[in-house]
Order: sequence, then structure tokens, then C-alpha cells
Amino acid sequence: MIITRQKEFDDILGALKEEDIFIIGCGKCARKLRTGGEPEVLEMEKRLTKAGKNITGLTVLSSACSISSWEDVLSGNPEINKSDALLVMSCGGGVSVISGEAGIHVYPALDTESLGGVCRDETLKERCGLCGECTVWMYGGICPVIRCAKGLLNGPCGGAMDGKCEVVDRDCAWDGIYEKLKETCSLALLETVREPKDHAGKYRVKM
Amino acid sequence: METLASGKFIVTAEVSPPKGTDTRQMLKNAALVGGIADAINVTDNQRAVMRMSPLAACSILKSKGYETIMHVTCRDRNRLSLQSELLGSSSIGINNILVMSGDHPVKGDHRGAKPVYDLDSVQLLGLVQQLNSGFDFSGNTLEGKTRILPGAVANTELSEAALIKLGKKISSGIRFVQTQAVFDTNSFSGFMEQVNSIRSKYNPDMKIIAGIIPLKSVKSADFLNSNIAGIRVPQHVIDRMKSAKNPEKEGMEIAAGLIGKLQGMCDGVHIMPIGNHENTGKILEMAGI
Repeated sequence: MIITRQKEFDDILGALKEEDIFIIGCGKCARKLRTGGEPEVLEMEKRLTKAGKNITGLTVLSSACSISSWEDVLSGNPEINKSDALLVMSCGGGVSVISGEAGIHVYPALDTESLGGVCRDETLKERCGLCGECTVWMYGGICPVIRCAKGLLNGPCGGAMDGKCEVVDRDCAWDGIYEKLKETCSLALLETVREPKDHAGKYRVKM
Repeated sequence: METLASGKFIVTAEVSPPKGTDTRQMLKNAALVGGIADAINVTDNQRAVMRMSPLAACSILKSKGYETIMHVTCRDRNRLSLQSELLGSSSIGINNILVMSGDHPVKGDHRGAKPVYDLDSVQLLGLVQQLNSGFDFSGNTLEGKTRILPGAVANTELSEAALIKLGKKISSGIRFVQTQAVFDTNSFSGFMEQVNSIRSKYNPDMKIIAGIIPLKSVKSADFLNSNIAGIRVPQHVIDRMKSAKNPEKEGMEIAAGLIGKLQGMCDGVHIMPIGNHENTGKILEMAGI
């Protein structure tokens, strides 16, 4: 699940120089998170219309980041051909895929926060740091690359007070990691010195 | 730092590089402690507030004859930059290096800065050992190895995970630990027990230098409690400050009392004043140093 939040409406309006706008929502993560499903797309249409834009049409693709072809999108939404720009209410992945195909200006309506999940209707933000080298098992399933505000790999910084992170309003990830590893009698994993990440791994570069 | 091996009670004092290019205040502050401190700690954009590079500041202080301890945080430099900085410092004889993660940029005056943390403090201490043995991070041979005496920082109230991390730092072969400010010797003795059990096993020669912040007012105590992670000024100390006729003098007496007690508990003290070092000499004198 890609975690997104809507941009401030004034920021969206400020970027949109064109007049004839087609709005695209996303039926996957953004729909579930209520940032880019049908109700949000309709609300955006209302607000942009009120602000003087001409909304040529709207759709919610089953998944903005995974389309069979642009022709396929166009055949279902011929109004796109009468538009100067697209406003895409999906994560950055969806916006980029559509930008690569559309041939007109494409604007994002959302900001992409993190890779997370949903469980029992609770949105779980920041579950994976996308480091390209998954070692989450060493940390009791809690990814320090993203759950620790500094992405430290060998334990907490000195900034945590009473179990709270100094940066964001949440518990220090390392207390959770300690508890998880203790539960499974795996504290040796925490006592092991962890080497720095190989960031070249992200680019799949052969060393 | 010769004192590390001498067995003498160590005194270090913290000085900040200027926010700007004018070093007069820094030098004035250093002069206040130059005769009494074994070394002057030079901070690295402390509290994530941008200041002059500690390498430049250390170099200036060294040229005036001061022994320095250069702070190096992991916040602002990746592994290439950390290594070049350490090669540079060692090549001009700045070899006392205090390693720490560093306060996050959002705590400082450049909130939008990209936090680096390419290495964490344990990994940077490992890298220092590698540079000292003549190789860089990638295993390439150095033309001339570093001669760094690495140190680490610690809070004195440690979570289980923090204690495990401190264990990794200690067993990496550091020469000294400088702690966050101590206000309660009872809780500090608990910390010393924890550290002693690790150092006796992995690093018996390592020195523990306890942090001291002389309070100036009740307000300064409140500020430390709400803004500086790892510091807890206990209520009985705040009450003493509240009932004092002259809070600044009371703060000096509290600090001197702490230093007196700490002499029997650890290997040295590190003075971090609020403002400058005008009272530091007097405090040490009051503590009998």
C-alpha cells in the first residue's frame, strides 16, 4: 500500500495553468486511503469548477500505476483528447506512468508519503524504507530504515526520551525492535554490529 | 590526548564554533578554560544549528596551542565526506574525535535539510578503526593511516536497546565516553555499573567522562528538561535553584558538588556551560580540582 495525502487545494490550483482539465483517480491504494477514489475525484471536480476550471471529464482507473496501454485509457475516456492537462489523484508511481504516456501536462494532486499497509482498517504508514536490500527479519519485522527517523541500524540515538522519538510524535522504533526480538529470544540479532547499507544495491549495479 | 593514559582525573570543556567567520568569541571562551581543561571539545553543528566547521575551528584552536576533541556527527556527511574529513583532521594532528549520530535537522535552524545518516555512530567508529589500520571503507590502502583516538557519547539513562548499542561502541575499541549532563549521582552510579560490566570485559582502559552543565536559573533547568534529549534535571535540584537567593551561584555550587562526588565514580568531567566559560574555572576550584 502506497501511503498518500492530498496536497493543499491552493497548491494544486497554483500549479494548474491550463483551463480544460481531465481528472484521473486510482482504484487501488488511493481509493482505500480516501485520497483518490471516486468521492475524492468528484469533490475535486466540484472545487476546481468553482475555481473557474473547465473539467472535461473524470475517471477512476482500476490502478493508475498499472495500465494495459494509453490507447485503452483513451478509448474509455475520449474526453482526454479535448483536455489541456490531466490531474492525477494517485501516488507518484501512477503520476509518472501516466506522464510517460499522456503527451500533455500531467499534475499530481497527492503527495506520496511512504510504503505501508492497512490492517483492520488501520492505516500503517512507513513500513518499508525501499532500501533495495531487505533485512527486516534482523529487526523483528520493524524496518529501522524507515521507522527510525535517522534510519540507524545499530540501535537508538540519544534523542529518544521516555521511549519517544525526538523527531516525530511516536514511540522510538528501537524499543519495539528490542521487545520483538526479546519475545523470540533473538536479542543476539540486536547485539550484532550491522554494516552500513550498500546503496548501490538500489540501482542494481554490478560492482 | 596524553591525559587519557595518565590516570589523572580528566577535565574537558565544550566550545562552539562561531555562527559566522569571526572567531574572537570562540577564542575568548577557549582562553577561559585553556589553562584548566585537558582538552576542548569543539561541537559539530550542535542541535542541528549551522555553525563553522569543527575541523576549521579545531585547526584555529590548535594553532593557538589548545588540545581539542573534534565532534563528528553522522547527520551531515556521507561515508566519502566523513573519511575525507577524518583524513584531513588526522593529517594536521587533530586526532581526538568524538563520534555521535547528531541531532536531526528538524531540531535546528535548517529544518528542510536532507538528513544523511549514511553511517550510524557504531558504523563510523568501525570506520575509524579501519582508517587507523590504513584502509578506507572500501578496503583501498591509504597513503598514510590516521592516528585517531575515537570517543563516543552516551546518555546516562539507557533503555535496553540503548545499552546494547553502547556495548557495541565500547567493544569497537573507543578510548573514552563522554556522557550527557549528569544531575543525579545515584542514577549515574547505576549507569556506571552497567558500563563497568561491559568495559571490564571488552575495553578496560576506556575512560568515562561525565557531562556537567552548570545551571544558571530555574528557567535554564526547565529548558534542559523540555528541549534536550537525555537530560533530566531532578525536582530536588530544581527546588534548590528555586529557593536560592543567587541562582547562578547555586548552580555553580550544585555543579561543584557533583564534580566532587564524580571524582570517586568515573574518570573525568566534561563541562558544557550555558553561555560561556566565565564560571568554569571557579566551579572546578570549588570542586577541589
